[in-house]
Amino acid sequence: MTENKKSRSITRRQALGAMAGTAAVLGTPALIRPAKAADPIKIGVLSPVTGAWTVYGQAHSRGFELAVEEINAAGGVLGRPIEMILADYQTDQRLVVEQANRLLRQEKVDLLAGTFSSADRNAAGPVVKAADKILLYPTWYEGQIKDYYPGVCNPNIFMFGPEPTQQVWPFMEYMVSNHGKKFYMIGSDYAWPRVTNLFTKEKLQELGGEVVAEVYIPFNTPQYESVLRDIREKKPDIIFHSLTGSDTVNFAQQFHAAGMSKDFTYWTVDDEEVVTSGLGPEVSAGHFVSFDYFMTISHPNNKAFLERYKAKYGPDALMNTVGVGMYNAAHMGALAIAKAGKVETAAIREGLKELTFDKAPQGPVKMRGLDNQIVVPSYLMKVRAGWTSVNDMFEEVQSVPSVEPKDARCDLPL
Amino acid sequence: MDTLISVITDTVLITLVLALAAFGLAIIYGLIGVINMGHGAMLTLGAYFTWSLTRHGMPFVASVLLSASAVGTVGLVFEHLIIRHFYNRPFDTLLLTWAFFLVATEVIKIVFGTDFRNVARPIEGAIDIGIYRIPAYRTIVGGLSILLILSTAFILYKTSLGIKIRAMVQNREMAGLLGLNVAFMYKCVFGFGSFIAGLAGGLIAPMYSVDPYMGNTFLVRSFFVVIVGGIGQVLAGTLFGSFTIGGLETVLALFSDQVIAQIAVFFIAVVLLRFRPQGVFTGR
Repeated sequence: MTENKKSRSITRRQALGAMAGTAAVLGTPALIRPAKAADPIKIGVLSPVTGAWTVYGQAHSRGFELAVEEINAAGGVLGRPIEMILADYQTDQRLVVEQANRLLRQEKVDLLAGTFSSADRNAAGPVVKAADKILLYPTWYEGQIKDYYPGVCNPNIFMFGPEPTQQVWPFMEYMVSNHGKKFYMIGSDYAWPRVTNLFTKEKLQELGGEVVAEVYIPFNTPQYESVLRDIREKKPDIIFHSLTGSDTVNFAQQFHAAGMSKDFTYWTVDDEEVVTSGLGPEVSAGHFVSFDYFMTISHPNNKAFLERYKAKYGPDALMNTVGVGMYNAAHMGALAIAKAGKVETAAIREGLKELTFDKAPQGPVKMRGLDNQIVVPSYLMKVRAGWTSVNDMFEEVQSVPSVEPKDARCDLPL
Repeated sequence: MDTLISVITDTVLITLVLALAAFGLAIIYGLIGVINMGHGAMLTLGAYFTWSLTRHGMPFVASVLLSASAVGTVGLVFEHLIIRHFYNRPFDTLLLTWAFFLVATEVIKIVFGTDFRNVARPIEGAIDIGIYRIPAYRTIVGGLSILLILSTAFILYKTSLGIKIRAMVQNREMAGLLGLNVAFMYKCVFGFGSFIAGLAGGLIAPMYSVDPYMGNTFLVRSFFVVIVGGIGQVLAGTLFGSFTIGGLETVLALFSDQVIAQIAVFFIAVVLLRFRPQGVFTGR
């Protein structure tokens, strides 16, 4: 009993000592830090390196890596280098949460970049909200509607990819007047295709077009015969396509094999360089594709960018809209920190708003302050028949140098 | 009438292609009781080998055969080094073959990269039957699937090797006591199953996306095919299972959308298993 008491009192004393020690330890870095100027700024990058979106993971992480290398070669930000910490979330939304938390708590990153699909971003939304850290999101996506908060309409998330009023709307008039008014919508069964189609229908109505069918397909569906039959029966003019991953390849392969390519116009808002490579020249020939970036666009920024990219990753390395989104995100994140003068969430957020980046590969871009949405160029391309590589895959049909999107459907300003 | 014809052809083709994809699994699972979780990876390997060989200028047919042999060899080596020590412990083989899947997938990513690949279709175009066009290549693959299943049936039921295999399936110990080299036959069956998986992978490569996870799309469906059809019912079971899992979806999609059709198919599969837990073609 006595011993117990004794030990307890010692413990208490020890506790006090420990507390003092902790305070000293905690206090010290604050004193040392300004002196240690070369302390890196840490950015956690959430990338789908394995799992279903593996195919996109490489361009995704490389775009960011290249930008970080460029920033550091130019002396870093505020005299500090940037350290990129890559986390693979294996295309699993639970792992997005886990990895985001690990990066924030264990790696103590200053901000986050990445996630690929809208489902991944929506998983990361609550995490960055709770931790009050910035997330730079690179992918083309469905636009912001309040229902999906905090995955969107979140003041901490900045969108570097185009949304439907930028990716689809600018070309609808051309498509409707040249290829017909009847749309057959087919997409994967999740948020991005559904909301993208919602926006597309809105504009289509304005133009006097009609949607003959709207079909959503579960992930990893190998067979599309019933859809193909439905398409033949409903006789649309345009197949408006937003399937993703291997499903888009499986569908297009079977669509072509059924001899339907010549009967319908095929407009996809998903098949960038990676997917179109998977389709091959036979199957993809003549498809219309719209995005903010293509490897084949002729902007001088792009030529310089691809030279640096290929010097680092080899002449056959693929780039796409997501990789460029990540590239711009890294550069603009760094510019925002430089503008803010400190690495702190509120300051970075202010720094990003209305920030312009003239060196973006697709042409100058601007981060809109109102709703954290990038203002980008937009391109409608046609897949060249008999293309041999990503370097001659697309030919330009129409382009808009800068597309101001519709205001996000959130409580603005963010 | 047009719809009816197209539904029937679609259903037949889907059933045959799925049967081809599931056949390797049905052989290994049905004859030697190893739940081969590596089946998906074997399909993927077959597809990647085919992609690689055709890209280096080899004709498609030769590429597919060589790829299938390569996957068969991989299966034999895997069996010899690891699986043969675990035939008495089915759950361990499940974990081991799962490990095979994980390792093989990572190796594929390292060797072949993570991008989508495409294998050009050796026969372009569609067969026009007036009202409807049937994809030519898919039809040929369907034909090969029938041929493969029939020749396996021939081996199993009309040759002395088949009698030995069936004896082994019925009673392994007794077959061994009667002088059959059971270990050797297990090895052959595992190798043959892997060969078929590789063959299927190569043949379906021009119809589907070739990526490191392509086999996964077929793994779950293949398992349902085997379980619904009945373990050990390599022939009729595989065809019936493929019809239930693949063909039925096309029929159901006539009346509902894809999502509901897919759910309904798996629901029907579960109901079938509730009343015929041994599989539809296995006697109680």
